[in-house]
Amino acid sequence: MGEILERILADAVEEKEEKKYDVLIIGGGIAGEESALDLAEMGFKVLLVEKEPSIGGHMFLLSKVFPTLDCASCISTPRMAAVAHHPNITLMTYSEVKEIEKRGEGDFRVRILKKPRFVEESLCTGCAQCESACPVIVPKEYDFGLRGRKAAYIPFDTAVPKIAVIDIDHCVFCGQCEMVCPVGAINFLQKPKIIKVKVGAIIVATGYKLFPIGRKKEYMYGKLANVITSMQMDRVLAPTRPYNSVLRPLDGKEPMNIAFVLCSGSRDRTVGNPLCSQVCCMYSIKQAQLLMGALPLADITIYYMDIRAFGKGFEEFYQQAKDMGVIFIKGRIAKIEPTENGDIVVHYEDIENGGKLRKAVHDLVVLSVGLLPNPEIAKVFKNVKLELDEYGWIKQKDENISPVETSIPGVFTAGCIIGPKDIPDTVVEAAAAAAHVAAYLNEVRRGGE
Amino acid sequence: MNEGSEFRPKILVFSTNLISDVGIDYAGLLHMHYPATTSIIRLPCSSMIRPEWILFALESGFDGVFVAADGTDCPYLRDCTERTARRIDQALELVKKNGFRPERIKMAAICSVCAEPFSNHMKNFYEMLKKLGPVKKGEI
Amino acid sequence: MGNEERRIGVYVCWCGGNISDVVNVEKVVEAIKNEAGVVVARHFMFMCSEAGQKMIIDDIKKYKLNAVVVASCSPKLHELTFRNVVARAGLNPYMYYHANIREQSSWAHSNDPEEATRKAIRHVRMAIAYLRHAEPLEKIRVSATPSVLIIGGGISGLKAALDLSRMGINVYVVEKQPFIGGHLAKIGSIYPYGRKGWEVVSTLVKELRKRDNVVIYTNAEVESVKGFIGNFEVSIRVKPRYFKRMCKRLDEVTKVCPIRVPDEYSYGVKKRSAIILPPYPGAYPELPAIDMNSCTKCMKCLEVCKDSIDFSQEEQIIKLKVGSIITATGFKPYRPKEGEFGYKVYGEVITLPELLSILKQSDSKDRLVINGKEVKDLAFIYCVGSRQKPKGNNDKINTYCSRYCCNATMFTAIKLFERYRGIRQYHVYRDIRTYGKNELMYEKACKMGAVFVKYDENDPPKVYRNNNKLIVKVKDLLTEREELEIPVDLVVLVTGMEPNDNEKLNEILKLPTGRGGFYQEVHPKLRPVETTLAGFLIAGTAQGPKDSRESLLSASAAAAKAAGTVLKGFIELEPFVAFVDPEKCELSKTCIAECPYGAISVKNYEGFGKKAWVNPALCKGCGSCVAVCPVGAIQIRGLTNKQIEDMIKTSAKEV
Repeated sequence: MGEILERILADAVEEKEEKKYDVLIIGGGIAGEESALDLAEMGFKVLLVEKEPSIGGHMFLLSKVFPTLDCASCISTPRMAAVAHHPNITLMTYSEVKEIEKRGEGDFRVRILKKPRFVEESLCTGCAQCESACPVIVPKEYDFGLRGRKAAYIPFDTAVPKIAVIDIDHCVFCGQCEMVCPVGAINFLQKPKIIKVKVGAIIVATGYKLFPIGRKKEYMYGKLANVITSMQMDRVLAPTRPYNSVLRPLDGKEPMNIAFVLCSGSRDRTVGNPLCSQVCCMYSIKQAQLLMGALPLADITIYYMDIRAFGKGFEEFYQQAKDMGVIFIKGRIAKIEPTENGDIVVHYEDIENGGKLRKAVHDLVVLSVGLLPNPEIAKVFKNVKLELDEYGWIKQKDENISPVETSIPGVFTAGCIIGPKDIPDTVVEAAAAAAHVAAYLNEVRRGGE
Repeated sequence: MNEGSEFRPKILVFSTNLISDVGIDYAGLLHMHYPATTSIIRLPCSSMIRPEWILFALESGFDGVFVAADGTDCPYLRDCTERTARRIDQALELVKKNGFRPERIKMAAICSVCAEPFSNHMKNFYEMLKKLGPVKKGEI
Repeated sequence: MGNEERRIGVYVCWCGGNISDVVNVEKVVEAIKNEAGVVVARHFMFMCSEAGQKMIIDDIKKYKLNAVVVASCSPKLHELTFRNVVARAGLNPYMYYHANIREQSSWAHSNDPEEATRKAIRHVRMAIAYLRHAEPLEKIRVSATPSVLIIGGGISGLKAALDLSRMGINVYVVEKQPFIGGHLAKIGSIYPYGRKGWEVVSTLVKELRKRDNVVIYTNAEVESVKGFIGNFEVSIRVKPRYFKRMCKRLDEVTKVCPIRVPDEYSYGVKKRSAIILPPYPGAYPELPAIDMNSCTKCMKCLEVCKDSIDFSQEEQIIKLKVGSIITATGFKPYRPKEGEFGYKVYGEVITLPELLSILKQSDSKDRLVINGKEVKDLAFIYCVGSRQKPKGNNDKINTYCSRYCCNATMFTAIKLFERYRGIRQYHVYRDIRTYGKNELMYEKACKMGAVFVKYDENDPPKVYRNNNKLIVKVKDLLTEREELEIPVDLVVLVTGMEPNDNEKLNEILKLPTGRGGFYQEVHPKLRPVETTLAGFLIAGTAQGPKDSRESLLSASAAAAKAAGTVLKGFIELEPFVAFVDPEKCELSKTCIAECPYGAISVKNYEGFGKKAWVNPALCKGCGSCVAVCPVGAIQIRGLTNKQIEDMIKTSAKEV
């Protein structure tokens, strides 16, 4: 968030009316969506708050998902639309939960900051004419910088809601958008608002952060253009992808010899993350399979420590990749170096062949980055403490009996907020959180009668 | 069929919503190629097929009809295979009576992960129909 | 709507290239836009996106459309999405047909774009033909019984029961064994914190026993299930325990019983009598049970516990009404074949569950003694019964990874190091899959001195005896395939999970199973606890290998879905059921004989007399009746004979 927006947000106006919902769900990724739909189906009134301009989280940015190779946007967009249209779900995007106070069981008071889009939500039709007219280009967050976006923009082709937003920090106030908007939706005077709500229970589903792999200096991320992250590779492979084909960033050459470096920022105490990120093996194998389809002549090598294909259908998916000709080398990458033509030399310990140090040249290197906790949400709890574990993931009250309960009764977790996990596990956990909310609310309310 | 061009038999496939259509989808998902001259109509269950429909398909110009039956996975009927087989038996009689070769009808159980069996069935059936030549009333 | 002019909108999706890279979407639109009834035809990047949906809604209003075709991915993904879209625009949601041009065209025929385009055109034409005679339909609303049946009283079943009960829903748990608790109750300490498995179970049991809306049947099996979502009638067979009250002389009575069979609660490590005692503290029920499979009715037990044992007890059949059914029948540990890594050939080759049972009972704090011999060196062999490779013969193999075993072994390794100083451990593995936070256990086991030896899946280790030691012979991939001969006192086979033998239950429920034999979910990513059968959910390891925490989550998820069905008190069903045209019906009654659900009877129609009649709440819409009617009088709503014939005719036309 830029300075200007920050300053504008400081003048947020508090709305008088306090709204009531049964459940507040923080985070509109696949976890929050699943919990919201389950609770809404049971008849509860749900408020779903997402800090980004669109719901969808990380999942709808992905290309295809393992082990079914379903297109991620194809299976997640209907969910997003269902969330947006369910009569029992109220959606607040581009909004942040700022403060939560627990007054008693089943009674949470929440203050939510609604950031200004500088576009009237009720008027905007998502026609994107403002986007065409805007002269400012900045890197696009949703594509991890692989291409640009305008300062007036629609976050994503499949965004929900499909409403424009103006990045006020980069806006040059030329007024072009205002002129072209066919419905007069642009409003530079829009003010941030504080919305007060009272809810009975809360689900925290704010997900994870990607490991900032620049921290692992030896891997040269940010220094070498042809060293990219797996999230960037997923974007390159997605139907809504930047280049419309697989190219390496430095010179736009089609890569013919791609390497994946697993455990980049995971199982590595030297960068402060000893945990396994649980998803990198599988998404790398998925990307390898997709690349074999996109670039039939390319060689794909995966440097790994252990292949952790543990979920349903995963092992078979791994074997399939081997049968397709993906090369698996057990070894950790020690160092990454450039060559003159933009290719990359990786130095690795060839564990299965005597542990000798070897070199290999690839023309594109993908760092399979791990997942880190996203514990910011713990700070908004005012009079109660949301406890974290020693690594910063939210602490489970009792892992062996109730894995979705937290240190605060009435506050539950869904998805990666308690630890890295894949989509099937996330969905299961989100539904489990919904069950716990329903049980909690029923007990609290019956007790109160 | 255009003059001079290669004969490409047209196949009508009856699939079922919950089982065989899923298997056929799976074949697509795995990019398992099978002849594209197929048209697929989905039904709730293969036991629904009226023998008249099969005759009608041949009369309308299809060179073959493939029934992708539920088999033992049928969510509706334990004896789905037997029931569907009865429909096929009746259809065989019916098409013969009307001057069509009975080989133009084929049935196989296609489960929801039967991608490979389905695509093989299609290829073999296609080749067989190719040898048989275009459908013609009075061919027998 | 019969006489109203049909105004159809056709929408062809690119699926962001998934379709349009192969199928020429412009050509498709061109080919069908002049078909009778088509008012507007378009193609677009993502029909399912907000923008695509909005385009359809705007067109419906602008062009006064009364029917819509979307040609995109499989209807399993988006049919419902688009039915809702047309409904939002004020149309009846059943004035919609979904043409599959991705899975069944662009993906299946990516090698032949031209023919794929033709197929797409045919599929769209069929959809148009369908809609020409479509009529608006209404969903069928049925009430839902606010109760849920849970099959299986392991950790998953118990957790689902607790969640549902807390929501105010009545729960019935049916357990085949004489005691609830499943595998978890048999295990000593579980990872990652060393909590006792039976303690976790008894905590849940204690909670459940406080509640008045939970009924647990042990020694019980589902006998039959009738009905449909929201309204199942279940009958349960409960076998007697032959114990009517507690006996104070349980020790004596088990001694007096002459029977000794392997005790399933210790994976056969111990023997038990025909009287099965509560196997763990806090076990439920508290009463022992007599196992009639091994009892010879010698009646010696009556001499000790005369007032408690009652052989006159009889089986009971209990009838229940429930709205939803959760199947949580769990797993069974893989049982190595005789001779597999020396199992059953050498007494010092045991499985991981057997080791855990031995550890649970072993009193010795500093010496691990097995078969009367102290264990100083032991080897774990991983992936036994998991990740198996096809061998060419027709042996059933488990290709899947069993997920929990690496974690459980690593935890056991730590426990062994802590308990038995100086013990040496060799871990003969393929990949160590201690995913997520479990990695910390792997790290710790390494630090404590566990030696890891990686074997090639095509060249597995061999176990044989040499003097008083077992030798594990293995080529170590970590040391340039050096051939190692590791002398050990004990070999522990790390066995995976297999689905339970549920033949009888599968006959009754007909739940679909997937590869490996576990129950199959609707969609592995987004619908992991639902099945294709409405109202039937799956939880825990019955769906696939999981550890106890993951089983708990899956159980709660199933509870959430069951609550979604029963909590509102009603369910809406699709309207695709059979109906009779009384004008045509000649009352041959063939349909009545054909219907497997007894949904068809004879009714007096005003003006037509006695004709066949379908009860829409009982009809499941299979259409079997449609095929047998001699005059075509019985049809399925939303898929009439006329619609099917039109689709056949139109798809036969050349493109």
